[in-house]
Amino acid sequence: MNKPIDAFVAANDNILAEAERWEAQTRAPFVAQNPERRDAFTTQALGWPVKPLYTPADLEAVGFDYCTDLGFPGEYPYTRSTRPNGHRSAYWTMTQVTGFGKGADWSKRARYMLDQGLSGLILEYDLATTNGYDSDDPMVEGEVGRAGMALDSLEDLEAAFDLPFDKLHYLMSVCNAPQPVNLAMIIAALEKKGVDPQDFVLHIVNGILIEYTCVGRYIYPPEHGLRIATDCIEYIIRNHPNWAPLSIISAQLQPAKANPVQEIAFSLAIACAYIDATLERGFTIDEIAPYLNHFVVNVDMDFFEGICKLRAFRKCWARLMKERYGAATPEALKIRMMTSPTTIALTLQQPLNNIGRLAIMATACALGGAGEAMTTPLYDEAHALPAEDAIRVGAALQHIVAHETGVAETIDPLAGSYYVETLTKQIEDAAFAEMDTIFAMGGATKAIEQGYFQRALGREQYERNKDLEQGRRKWVGVNHLVLPEDKREIEIFRLDETMEDEQAAKVRDLRARRDSTAVEAALEKVRQAARQGENLVPPCLEAVKVYATHGELCNAMRDVFGVHTPDSQLSGV
Amino acid sequence: MREHSGRRLRVLLAKLGMDTHTVGITIIGHALREAGMEVIFTGLKQTPEMVVAAAIQEDVDVVGISTLSAGHTRNLPRLARLLKEAGAEDKLLLAGGVIPEEDRPFLLEAGVGKIFTMGTDTRDIVRYLEEWWAERQAAETV
Repeated sequence: MNKPIDAFVAANDNILAEAERWEAQTRAPFVAQNPERRDAFTTQALGWPVKPLYTPADLEAVGFDYCTDLGFPGEYPYTRSTRPNGHRSAYWTMTQVTGFGKGADWSKRARYMLDQGLSGLILEYDLATTNGYDSDDPMVEGEVGRAGMALDSLEDLEAAFDLPFDKLHYLMSVCNAPQPVNLAMIIAALEKKGVDPQDFVLHIVNGILIEYTCVGRYIYPPEHGLRIATDCIEYIIRNHPNWAPLSIISAQLQPAKANPVQEIAFSLAIACAYIDATLERGFTIDEIAPYLNHFVVNVDMDFFEGICKLRAFRKCWARLMKERYGAATPEALKIRMMTSPTTIALTLQQPLNNIGRLAIMATACALGGAGEAMTTPLYDEAHALPAEDAIRVGAALQHIVAHETGVAETIDPLAGSYYVETLTKQIEDAAFAEMDTIFAMGGATKAIEQGYFQRALGREQYERNKDLEQGRRKWVGVNHLVLPEDKREIEIFRLDETMEDEQAAKVRDLRARRDSTAVEAALEKVRQAARQGENLVPPCLEAVKVYATHGELCNAMRDVFGVHTPDSQLSGV
Repeated sequence: MREHSGRRLRVLLAKLGMDTHTVGITIIGHALREAGMEVIFTGLKQTPEMVVAAAIQEDVDVVGISTLSAGHTRNLPRLARLLKEAGAEDKLLLAGGVIPEEDRPFLLEAGVGKIFTMGTDTRDIVRYLEEWWAERQAAETV
C-alpha cells in the first residue's frame, strides 16, 4: 500500500464530491438566472471544450502524475524547463527577423537592430533566392529584395556582413531548398571577414520538408530535397560542431492553421525523417539528436493553448527520443526552442492594437518557458515590410516582458494549475496519437507525398476562417469593435523601386567580369557530386569562391535532380 | 449562388511568381466553390504569361490573384497588360492579399478590376462576384 497516493486519491474523491455539490448548489442556480455568454466555450485552435472550473479531480482523470509528467527543470521529461535554473541565470536570446533589399541595406538595418539591444539576428532572403533564382531571372520579376534580402553571389553577403561581429553572436539563415549553396556562401563570407567560426553560431534552417508541407519554397523533388538537407547536416556536424544544421519551423505550420496537436505531431514526425536520414550517414542518435532538436514555435492568442503547447512540446520530444530511438544523453533528450508570438494574430485594421497582442503573446511565450530564444514579429507586418518604429517597439517588448513582469523570476510558474496541467497532458496524448497515424503511413515523407498534411491544413484553414466570419470567434478590429473609417495610424516602410533593376544589373555585371572557365568547371563538379551522391557542400564552397551565382548553382542541381511539380489541387478540397 | 443563364461563374485563382503564401487563396477557393462557382487553381509559381494562357484555355470569367510578398506593383500591371493584349480584358481581374492603400489607385488604373485586402469577409467577395456576374449576364442578354 502506498499511503501518500491513497491519501491523494481519497482527497480527490472528496474534491470530486465537493465539486459536484458546488455545481448543483451554487453554480447551476446562478447560471439559470445568469445565462452564459456563449453556447459553448472552447479553446481557440483545437476547439476543445473548456470547463467552467478545473480541480485536482481533473488531474486524476487525465492520469496526471507529478514525477513522471513534470519532474524537475533540466531533467527528463523536461516539461518544466530544459534548463536547470529556468531563466534565472540568463534570459532567452532576444531576436528579430530581418532582411530586405540589397546586402548593404541589410547590413544597415542589422546594425540598427544590434544597437537596439538584440544579440542575434535572423536573415531572411527574398523569394527569388529561396526558390533558387538569380535576381535577373524573368521568373522572379517583382520579387527581388522584397520578402527578404536578395542574394545572388558571395559579393552580396560580403556587403551584408559589414557588421560588428563582436555584438552579433548568433545568426539564423532561412534558405531551405538551396541550402548547400547558401551554407557555402555564408562560410566563404565569414572566412573573408576573418570571423572565427568557433566564436559565432550559424544556424541554418534547412527546413525543406516543411516547404513541401505548407510553405511552397521547394525546388527539387522531396527525396532529393531530403538528401540535400542531410548533406548540410552531415557537413556541419563534421566541420562546425558548434553550429546548428536544422530548425524545424513549427511556426510555419501554425500560420497554415495547424492546431497545437498537429503542430507537435507534424513537426516531430518531420524531425524523425531528418533523424532517420542522418542516422544512415553513420552517426548514433546521441551524437545527432543535439543537432536536430531546434524548433521554432509560435504562440497564438489563446494564452493557455500556447503555454500548454510549449510545455507539451518539450515533453513529447524527450519521450520520442527515448522511446523511439533509445537516446540516453540529456543533450539528446532536450529540445531547443525559439518561441515567437504569431503574425497571424495581428490585424491590418487598427494596427496599434497589435502591440497589445504581441505583449500578451510574448508573455505567454515566457510563461511557457520561452526557450533558448524568442523572436517578436512587428505590429505593422499586416501592412507591409516593417518600419523602424515597429522594430524599436518589437525589441522593447521582449525587454518589458523580461524585466518588468516577473514572469521569468521563477521556473515554470503555471505548473500545478489544474487547467494548465490538464490541457498540457491532453495535448501530449493527442500529439502521440497523431504521430502514430503518421508513422503508420510510413512517416513524414510519405505523408507529404500522399498530401496528408496539406489536406489536414486546408481543412483547418477553411473551418477556422468560418468561425471568424460567423462570429464564433471575436477579433477586435476585424469582426468586433470595427471602426467605420479604418484610418492607418502608422508609418510604412517603402522599398526603393529601383533596387530590383540595380540588383539584376549587378549580377549581370559580375558574370561578365569573373573567371568564367573556373565557374564552369566548379559547376560541373557540383553536378558530379549531385549525380554520385557525394556531399554537395564542398563543391558548392569551391564554386561560390570563384563567384558562381546562387541561381547557377541551383540550376546545376536542377540539371541532375529535376524539379518538384506538385498537383495544383487546392489543399483540402 | 443565383443562376444566370444556366452557366456558373468560372474563376481562375493563381499565385504569381515566387509568392507561396497559400492560406488566403485556399480559404477563398473553398468559399467560392461553396457558393456554387467553378474554381480552378493554377498552383504556385506562375508567370503572368502562364496565367493569361490558363485563363483563356479554361475560358474563365474572373482571374483572382493572391499576393502577399510585395511583388504586386510589378506583376499585376503586367498581367493586366497581357490580358488586354490577348483580347481578354473582359475578364475581371481581382487582386487580394497584402496591398498597401497607396498602391491601390495605381493598380486599379493599370487594369486591376477590384482589390480585396487581407481580412475581407469571404461572403463580401462572394457577394461582389455574384453582383458583377449578374450585371455581366444582363449586359450580355441585352
